Amino acid sequence: MNRNEAKQILLLYRPGTADGDDPQVAEALAWAQRDAELARWLEQVCAQQIALRAKFRQLEPPAGLMEQIISEQAASRRRPLGRPKVLLGLAAMLVAVLVAVLAAGGFWLHPQPQRANDNTLVIFQNRMASAALRGYAMDLTTGDASGIRDYLGHHAAPADYVLPPALQKAGLAGCAIQGWQGTKVAMICFRTGQPLATGAQSDLWLFVVDRASVAGAPAGSRPQFARVNRLNTAIWTQGDKLYLLGATGDEALLRSFL
Amino acid sequence: MADNMEFESLVTRFYASLYQFAFSLTRTEADACDLTQQTFSIWAAKGHQLRDATKVKTWLFTTLHREFLESRRRLTRFPHCDLETAEAELPVVTPAAVSLLDTTRVLDILAQLEETFRAPVALFYLQDCSYNEIADILQVPLGTVKSRLARGLSQLQHLLARDIAVGGHPPPDL
Repeated sequence: MNRNEAKQILLLYRPGTADGDDPQVAEALAWAQRDAELARWLEQVCAQQIALRAKFRQLEPPAGLMEQIISEQAASRRRPLGRPKVLLGLAAMLVAVLVAVLAAGGFWLHPQPQRANDNTLVIFQNRMASAALRGYAMDLTTGDASGIRDYLGHHAAPADYVLPPALQKAGLAGCAIQGWQGTKVAMICFRTGQPLATGAQSDLWLFVVDRASVAGAPAGSRPQFARVNRLNTAIWTQGDKLYLLGATGDEALLRSFL
Repeated sequence: MADNMEFESLVTRFYASLYQFAFSLTRTEADACDLTQQTFSIWAAKGHQLRDATKVKTWLFTTLHREFLESRRRLTRFPHCDLETAEAELPVVTPAAVSLLDTTRVLDILAQLEETFRAPVALFYLQDCSYNEIADILQVPLGTVKSRLARGLSQLQHLLARDIAVGGHPPPDL
């Protein structure tokens, strides 16, 4: 091994990890102990490694992602079983009840972590943002406002919503119905007038849901702004409804529709 | 396994690092969220097949990486490259210069790496995975991981040096 080869190997060395246990790295580290120039170079590389690692780790997951993953899983567990699985499900349930009874004492002595609530505002925001950003099929494509209300009302989704004056002037594209906690969410699709992304049919979405179905819904009609995923959102309540308006543009664009 | 391991505690423990890895691969928040969620969804369905509890982390990262590759419909196989082919001369990038870069810029630079090198370099910095774990996750031999890391880190050094030299990062607060 020469100095250059040692450098190539030591470039892979991360201080404070088990990397030094690797035979090649161990040999190169031993070389650095005998070579002052290589040792100086290694010191700088290690400091740079630490600085870079810190940068990478500063990346924060979006708020609500963890809760969303857990709630999606809980929701999938709650989905009804198919007919062939019903008997198996019942048998499993009986066993589970038996186990639960036997384990009850232990449970109370060692309480389990509380399951994350899956009807919170953060999860609602995330799920609706996902619906807008990751592709959806409009149930009704129309620019007719009353046609949209008729469709939503006919399908038991919120239809008596109140649009902010500026949003009433936005171009309508259609609507879809989303599910949330066993209730229906009206998704009304608009166009901001900005150029649409390829394949997109709208770039401004209003979600309306029963306020009672979202834990932690804001109390007032004054919009609260938040960035959710790639969506700028405003959320407010009016009457018994919770409104979430989202746009892919900047916040100023979103505000212009409120 | 899946029955024995609390799903929530698994999510709590790994979702952030999985998201970071996903983001380093996809460079978009929405796609990174999707990949992370999809990974746990697969765990919920198939995690019981894993017999060795010590391999959970590797299993999750492997699954995420595989989902990423499938989502990209990549068909080309990555060529093996020898350690000796890595560049001998590396530019000097000081830790102080690195500190001036923000995370977004560093990830932008990572995204400029050849795709073959991006995943191993991201794992190298993000997770403190051992070389063997990175090899398991990427499902390539240990020697290939080392050579990809050597080349990837070398490329990263060059890109960082170039970025810093042309002032591609915002200056510190004035």
